[in-house]
Amino acid sequence: MSNPKKPHITVMRSQLSRARGLGSGQAGVGHWWAERASAVALVPLSGWFVIQVFRLAGASQPEVAKWGARPFNTTMMLSLVILTFYHTQLGLQVIIDDYVHGKAHLPAGLLMKGIVFLLGLFGTVSVLKLALAGSSRGKVAAG
Amino acid sequence: MVEFRLPKNSTVGKGRIFTAAPGATNVKNFRIYRWSPDDDKNPVVDTYEIDLDKIGPMVLDALIHIKNDVDSTLTFRRSCREGICGSCAMNIAGENTLACLKPIRDIEGDIAIYPLPHMPIIKDLVPDLDGAYAQLRSIDPWLKSDTLPPPDSERRQSIEERAQLDGMWECILCFCCSTSCPSYWWNGDRYLGPATLLAAYRWIADSRDEHAGDRLDALEDPLKLYACRTIMNCTQTCPKGLNPAKAIGRIKELQLERKA
Repeated sequence: MSNPKKPHITVMRSQLSRARGLGSGQAGVGHWWAERASAVALVPLSGWFVIQVFRLAGASQPEVAKWGARPFNTTMMLSLVILTFYHTQLGLQVIIDDYVHGKAHLPAGLLMKGIVFLLGLFGTVSVLKLALAGSSRGKVAAG
Repeated sequence: MVEFRLPKNSTVGKGRIFTAAPGATNVKNFRIYRWSPDDDKNPVVDTYEIDLDKIGPMVLDALIHIKNDVDSTLTFRRSCREGICGSCAMNIAGENTLACLKPIRDIEGDIAIYPLPHMPIIKDLVPDLDGAYAQLRSIDPWLKSDTLPPPDSERRQSIEERAQLDGMWECILCFCCSTSCPSYWWNGDRYLGPATLLAAYRWIADSRDEHAGDRLDALEDPLKLYACRTIMNCTQTCPKGLNPAKAIGRIKELQLERKA
C-alpha cells in the first residue's frame, strides 16, 4: 500500500455474510398483492365517483345530502375513501423504503401511517355524517 | 437518506486531452472516466481523440487501442471480446452495455465511457463487484436435488422442461442490469438485483431442482425481492437481450401462488 493515509477499516464482515444479512423477512407478498388489488378496485370506484360528481354539479345542499344518504351511495363512498387511503399508505411505504434508510426509517413510516390513518378516518366520518344526518337535515330544509 | 448528489471526493473534474495524430481524418472523441486509488485526487474525465480508421469497429477496440498506443495507464477489464465473458461491462453513452458488443458507429457525437453506475470503483473503469458476486452466491446458484441421479446417466429433462430455461441460461453475469436499476442503487445492500434474481429463477424453474420452495422462502422479503418496482431498466439495458424483469415477475407470481 503506497497510500500513507490508509483509512481505518471498520467492517471486516465477509461479503457473503453481508449479502445474506438477517435472512428473509418472510413478508412482502401481502403488501405487494394488496397494492395491486386495491389499485384495481379503485379504478371502477373512482370512475363511479367522477360520474356522480358531474351528475350532482349545480345541485343544492339538500339534494346532495339526499344523494349521500342512499345506502348504495354511502357504501360506494366509504369503499372509495377507505381503499384510497389504504392504497395511499401502501404506496407511500414503498417510497419510504426506497429513500429513507437507517434509524429514520421506522419513525418515518409510523408518522406517514398516522397521518394517512387520520385523513382516512376524517373522510370516513364525513361520509357517515352525510349518510346519517344528511337525510333529516334535507327534510327540515324541505319542510 | 438517499444521496442525490455525489460526495465531494467523487465529483468529476476535467482531465487531460490526448489529441489525434496530425493528418487523421476520421476522428472521434472518447471521454473516459479516470480515477486512481494511488493518489488523493478526485476522478476526472480524460478526452482521447481517436482515428477510427486505425481501429476495429467496437468500443472495446478503441479502449484497447488507447491502452496499447496512447495511454497505458487506462485500466479496464476485458477478456473474450465477443460478448460471452461479461468482463467489459461499462456505461457507454449513458447505457450499461458490453464494450465488445457496442459498435462505435451506433453512437453519435462524443462517446462518454464510465464504469458501471453506483458501484465502488477499484480503478478507472473497473468496479468492485464483490458484493454483487456474494449476492449471487447467497441464492445458491447450483442444482439442489435429493433424488440421486441414475447411476449410469445424467439427470434428464423433457424438451419442454429444458425450454423453460431459455432466456435465463444465456446470462453471462456482467451485472449491466443490476447496476442500471435505481432500486439496486438505493437499496443494493439488501435488494438482490435483477442479475441475481434472474439466476434465482433459473434454478426455481429447473425441472431437475427439488428446492424451489426453499428458494422462494429465501427470496420472500420486502427488499431482497420486492424492492423491484418494475422499472424495467434491467430488460432495456441487457446486452444479451434477456428479460430479468419477466423472471422477477414470475418469482412474484409463484410467491402469490403458494399462498393460496
